[in-house]
Amino acid sequence: MFKLNLKIALRNLFRNKVYAAINIGGLALGLTAFLFILLYINHEESYDKWSTDLKNVYQVRERHSFSTPDNLEHWQESNNSRVANLLKERIPQIEVITKIDKVWSFSDGTAVKIEHADPVMIRDIRDADHHFFHVFPYKFLRGDEQTALEKPNSIVLKEAIALKLFGSLNVLGKQVKTLVWQGDEGNSLIVTGVVAAPSTPETVAFNAITRTGNKDNDPENPGTTNYCQIYAKITDNSDTTKLNKLVQNVYVAFKKKTFAGKDVGFEEYYKDKSKSPGLKLVSLQTVHGNPALTVNWLEKVKPIIAISIFLLLISIINFVNLATAQSVKRAKEVGVKKVLGSYKKQLIIQFLLESALQSVVALFFSVILIEVLLPSFNSYFNVNLSFWHNAQLFVLIIQLIGLFLLVTLLAGFYPAWILSNYNPVSVLKGNYENGLKGIFLRNALVIFQFVISVTFMISIGVMQLQTDYINHKDLGFDKSKVINIKSSYDENFASKIRRIAGVQYVGTTTQVLGNAFNFNAPIDYEGKKIDINSVTVTMEALPALGVKVVKGRIFSPQYKADTLTSAVLNESAAQLLGKDVIGKHFSQNSGKAILQIVGVIKDYHNEGFDKAVLPTMYKITKLGSSSNTNNMLVRFSSENSEQILEKIAREWRLAYPNYPMQYAALNDSFEKILEENKRFINMIVLFSVVSIALSLLGLFALSTFMAKRRTKEIAIRKILGASNLQLMNMLNRSFLLLVLMANFISWPIAFILTRKWLAGFAYRIDMPIWPFLIATVLSVAIAIFTVSLQARKAAVSNSVNSLKYE
Amino acid sequence: MIELKNIEKYYANKGVKSYILRHVTTSIKQGEFVSIMGPSGAGKSTLLNILGMLEEATYGEYHFMGEDVTAMNERKRIELYRNHIGFVFQAYHLIDEMTVAENIEAPLLYKKIPGAERKSRIADVLDRFNMVAKKDLFPNQLSGGQQQLVGIARALVAQPSIILADEPTGNLQSAQSEQIMDLFRKLNQEENITILQVTHSEKNAQFGNRILTIEDGVIKEDVSVSK
Repeated sequence: MFKLNLKIALRNLFRNKVYAAINIGGLALGLTAFLFILLYINHEESYDKWSTDLKNVYQVRERHSFSTPDNLEHWQESNNSRVANLLKERIPQIEVITKIDKVWSFSDGTAVKIEHADPVMIRDIRDADHHFFHVFPYKFLRGDEQTALEKPNSIVLKEAIALKLFGSLNVLGKQVKTLVWQGDEGNSLIVTGVVAAPSTPETVAFNAITRTGNKDNDPENPGTTNYCQIYAKITDNSDTTKLNKLVQNVYVAFKKKTFAGKDVGFEEYYKDKSKSPGLKLVSLQTVHGNPALTVNWLEKVKPIIAISIFLLLISIINFVNLATAQSVKRAKEVGVKKVLGSYKKQLIIQFLLESALQSVVALFFSVILIEVLLPSFNSYFNVNLSFWHNAQLFVLIIQLIGLFLLVTLLAGFYPAWILSNYNPVSVLKGNYENGLKGIFLRNALVIFQFVISVTFMISIGVMQLQTDYINHKDLGFDKSKVINIKSSYDENFASKIRRIAGVQYVGTTTQVLGNAFNFNAPIDYEGKKIDINSVTVTMEALPALGVKVVKGRIFSPQYKADTLTSAVLNESAAQLLGKDVIGKHFSQNSGKAILQIVGVIKDYHNEGFDKAVLPTMYKITKLGSSSNTNNMLVRFSSENSEQILEKIAREWRLAYPNYPMQYAALNDSFEKILEENKRFINMIVLFSVVSIALSLLGLFALSTFMAKRRTKEIAIRKILGASNLQLMNMLNRSFLLLVLMANFISWPIAFILTRKWLAGFAYRIDMPIWPFLIATVLSVAIAIFTVSLQARKAAVSNSVNSLKYE
Repeated sequence: MIELKNIEKYYANKGVKSYILRHVTTSIKQGEFVSIMGPSGAGKSTLLNILGMLEEATYGEYHFMGEDVTAMNERKRIELYRNHIGFVFQAYHLIDEMTVAENIEAPLLYKKIPGAERKSRIADVLDRFNMVAKKDLFPNQLSGGQQQLVGIARALVAQPSIILADEPTGNLQSAQSEQIMDLFRKLNQEENITILQVTHSEKNAQFGNRILTIEDGVIKEDVSVSK
């Protein structure tokens, strides 16, 4: 029986190739979108699962005691380094405890210099105490965890980094020098181990672990605190609730002791209970899912998960739609089989089997699609997902089987039910087109699909217009021919660069695209207190940026007062102050500094377009010669940037031989700001293409069904003298209505969604009407085209054939 | 074998009952070859459908092999299909996706007959109907008469005690018709299979041994055919 049913299924698929291809292709598309998300979720879920020992590893978190925007309780990862010793001494369940640096998000990494080679920047080099590898059971390829960090001034490399730096794993005993910033004296470290990369991602990610000795001891002065992350390995089967209670008590007692001899008592100081001292252990394996102080990954990708589930559902709905539309063809088989003595259950199983066959093929295709698309997906979303080389391939396969069963049931059950319900008498008599009761459902599904597609189309249009607007917006400064060297400004170095031919200006400011730090400092102006952003710059910073002067002048060495009492405003600030501000004075720091306004410049963008340019006052930095802005702007006067850069790099090497030069062209910084937005738009484009494709398949199915249902009507009308065109019009009319209705529904939805999206931009276009009109015209046009494919076939077919048999 | 008592079938339409069958009372014994005749719309097919349990009578009693059909559940009915009743249709109703051999095999599968016996039975039937060469063809590759032969072969292979045939030769030419009727007569006489056929043709009716004539839902005549 099974064999025969399988044969029938295969024969049916081959006989209706187009239908089978559409059915399977649609399902494969939906499954692919879903599988990507599944892989991503698996990846995120797999953090810190690379060793069973990690079950006993806990992160120490302290209650965040500063105010937070949402006023909720938060726990932070950085701790007072003294806590490590405290816990180790007082809590017997803790086997080992280790302290490690936190990674700063703005850092470019650490410079690593080997002998006389040029220094290279490497991210995630973290300093720890010597217990690190006792807590985290990394596999040592060279050296071992007992001796690796035994002595200070040692470094353990990850496999990939060892290969990158030395080209070999035999690196024990080699010397490297690490520098955290350009003026750092650095640490000379000896390589004492190489560890293998674990099979799953890690929360405590590192490229190298150093033991410089900084983490070994706590500061002697009780007033000084070192902050670090603390991880503890506890004994097997510890009761964590009890343990956490103990941890909390130990910590409160410790905090109380620090109040001895102070004016304020402990109770009084911590009146606000939500800010009172708190300490707890968090299982390492849950840390990635519940990061401290930031939104977890699930929250971030929730909309995408929703959309991909949505797409899968649409493709399943399509499958159902197509299968029920196709079922008329199978009605006779059902009738005959019932009369021959088949149970309904047997029929349902047969048709479920056919769905299973199709979904297994679809799954197969989507796995191929995943394999093909995964590299671009990875590079695009900056992840490292893999299908076959997956640490949890077994879990993945179980998931795939589950997904297969789910899809088969969802997609196959309704058609199977409909089919097996055919009444043999009416089927065998020939009038089995009792599809009218399902037609409402199918129409509703088509409207639903088109609402989604049209909404997507409109959104793309609006987003495209907004992106165009941003790309062509006047930034208020000239972003070409400027580079920003990541370095504090040093007058000596700056003057050396200035001497290079082709360098026009060298300056520094805290306010530049890619690295802006805005500081609010109120001023007193004509008796009013005005909130204004204050930025200190060097003499050449504004010309280096190429800002546009609106009124007055910008700083110039010709005026002695400029370094002391002159200020330049941007237009937003000038507007706040009122008319004719040039030459007027204002005071800062409650009258301690009096400044005169010498000029007004056009607002220039220094942050993303989601933020408005702040009203800003610019003054020359008092420090003059050096300032720690981490921005050094260099404007070139000629196009010949390669050569000039080479010369600047040469000067850099002379000044800072152990630290590589890091720089970015402002053009690139600008691109980077747009990148996230671009990525989002591309994703929406991708989703909409898939959803539109699926909707068209749905429409195609429904029109096929309709055309078939009305074959006889068409034949009779033809005999009565209807032209092919008239027949096509007739068939198109009902679908046109559906698509127009879908448009009607999606206009307000798209309007609300895109307005919300636009609201995220401080600089945005007015809501345009064109995307709405174009989406409607386009959706109607492609719908007519799709329906006409079927309608034409029905209209042109020979009417005699449809009327011959009853 | 079949006992009908006061069978009625009507459709209520806006309170008005339109009768298809009225007061149909008759009995059919094992081994009879009955032809049901009458003008279009007289209720012949409905009667056959009721006898084949494809439709239910609105009123009346129906006993099939001593069992009350009106009280029968679906499972029991399907058992009867599998073991006792063979259907032959005017439009043949072969399954288009299955070959001749597979079409004939289908009822045996539902009867859960083991593979070896299935094979021998199919071979047997094919041989008897002289269709061995055509066993791997699909229905649309056969002529109408050949298709109907397959249809009858399919009805026979499960060894039913009764064959219900709704105008089995309605779509066939007269030569083919005669062949099918001959076959029915042979089956009836040699294997004692009860045959019930609906037909328009006086000539076909003569192959049987009893003719029921229905007009406007009522049995008008019930005569034996004199040989």
